[in-house]
Amino acid sequence: MSDMSQNSSTQVSTPAPVGRSIDLLKHQFQQIWQVLAALVLIYLVFFVLSEPFRSLDTLLSIFGQASILAILACGTTVVLISGGLDLSVGSIFAVVGVIVGIALAEYQLPAPVAVLIGLGAGALLGALNGTVQVLTGVPAFIVTLGGLTAYKGMAEILASGRDLSRFPDSFQVLGSGYLVPMLIMFGVALLTGLFLTKTRLGNHAFAIGGNEEVARLSGVNVRKSRIYYYMIGGLLAATAAILEIAKLNFAMPSRGQSYELFAIAAVVIGGTSLFGGRGGVGKTLIGMLIMQTIIVGLSYLGVSTSVQRIAIGIIIIAAVYWDVWRRSSR
Amino acid sequence: MTQPTSARTILKARGLSKHYGGVVALDSVDMDLHEGEVLAVVGDNGAGKSTLIKVLTGAISKTAGTVEMYGQEVQINTPTDAKAAGMETVYQDLALVNELSITKNMYLGRELLRKDFTGRLFGALDFARMDTEVRALFQKLDIRIVDIYREAAAFSGGQRQAVALAKTVMFGKRIAILDEPTAALGVRESQMAMNLVRSLKDHGLSVIMITHNMQHVMNYCDRVMVLRLGRLAAVRDVKDVDGDTLVGLITGTTEDKAA
Repeated sequence: MSDMSQNSSTQVSTPAPVGRSIDLLKHQFQQIWQVLAALVLIYLVFFVLSEPFRSLDTLLSIFGQASILAILACGTTVVLISGGLDLSVGSIFAVVGVIVGIALAEYQLPAPVAVLIGLGAGALLGALNGTVQVLTGVPAFIVTLGGLTAYKGMAEILASGRDLSRFPDSFQVLGSGYLVPMLIMFGVALLTGLFLTKTRLGNHAFAIGGNEEVARLSGVNVRKSRIYYYMIGGLLAATAAILEIAKLNFAMPSRGQSYELFAIAAVVIGGTSLFGGRGGVGKTLIGMLIMQTIIVGLSYLGVSTSVQRIAIGIIIIAAVYWDVWRRSSR
Repeated sequence: MTQPTSARTILKARGLSKHYGGVVALDSVDMDLHEGEVLAVVGDNGAGKSTLIKVLTGAISKTAGTVEMYGQEVQINTPTDAKAAGMETVYQDLALVNELSITKNMYLGRELLRKDFTGRLFGALDFARMDTEVRALFQKLDIRIVDIYREAAAFSGGQRQAVALAKTVMFGKRIAILDEPTAALGVRESQMAMNLVRSLKDHGLSVIMITHNMQHVMNYCDRVMVLRLGRLAAVRDVKDVDGDTLVGLITGTTEDKAA
């Protein structure tokens, strides 16, 4: 019976090649409108409940606080879409912060050079995660859990006995105010989005995350691609780290702690599948804004940090539950 | 084995073996594929049909054996090698990625890049060209799928199989290898799929097809090879064999006198 209905439904439809871009836009909007609606709703709830929450400054600070983590989360989005997992990006964040700090404070290198060194280091550490997985076959969870502590240790060794602060003005500009980090966040999100949707390597992330074996049998170089995705994850963690130390005007190996979890949380809340194959950076940005809105809103209501953490934890579980439920109802 | 002398042998495999530790999944199997024929591979569960195909197409590495195409020995160690040699395979349950659109599935691993600098520098995809090609091919094969940018998960088993078979038409230069193309399909969808298999022949492809359906062997195939417990049990022209004999050869109650 189901055969019949399927067949007849395909036969009545007629080709409409001109509608492609409109259909695509419609399709993308359909995917995103639920999280967007959730964001607006959550914002409105706090808007009603808290008087000081209603200012433009609050809105800007939500974006400002979201921006650095959102950049990191763009990398996490790529890795999760490809069916991978990187728990070490928080520690890569710490190492890169310390390395750039040393380059600036101790070696007095010009800001652009220090930034390039930092980006290179992040990409390298990310690629190392991917390479170890591909060569040993040890699961991503374990390899990057190892990376989490190993890179952290590396950051501590590099930072010990050093004063990593008072960076040149030309560097501090990167983290000043809300505007610059926000612009960089939108730039990074746009580039990552173009990478995922318009390029071959980006499309292969969806293929590998969707069904690795089909991708392999179709001739996709799964191992090499995976290394690239982890490299992008590391590169964006480094970008976030550079912005943060520019903002703080000091570097410390303890920075970046749990950032990988916040990033994963934002990605999942946005609606990217934890199981790979589906997702996008637009969703991640919204997911990060949802999380920051809740954090900022709750603090305006006088809720303690500990309770905020409990709330975020529950939201993460709910978001994954939703993902699982959507999968099974297909 | 009586063969019309006009048919050229396109593929000649000798002594194909696959061992998993002490377990012999495939035991020194020989096989010939003639140009323009549909060769059925039949056998009970565990007879080594899928192993044979996977070894042949580089999906798994073989323990021993050689493969020649047009008399030239070829080394096929990866799926990419097989594609380069002109072999296109539709694996059972491993044909499409659910999360990708029809167009992206069709071109997975062989995407068309834009011809400007964005294609060369960043590997930017030429979706317009890919969409156009896919639509043209679907029209030619009478595959009625319009929403080619919807993800594959949204389509029925028959439609998905049609897409997988269309992929072999688009890229298969010489040989199409099909692992149970009608498994899990309804009667009407099977019919559709088998008509597509027949049209592969019209597009100049020689076909190797695993099947459990004796009706399909009799109606659509030229020759049939029978595997039993990892060994080649018999090879017959379909016109010289009936269904009962074939079932006997599969289960081992009929011994092959020709071999």
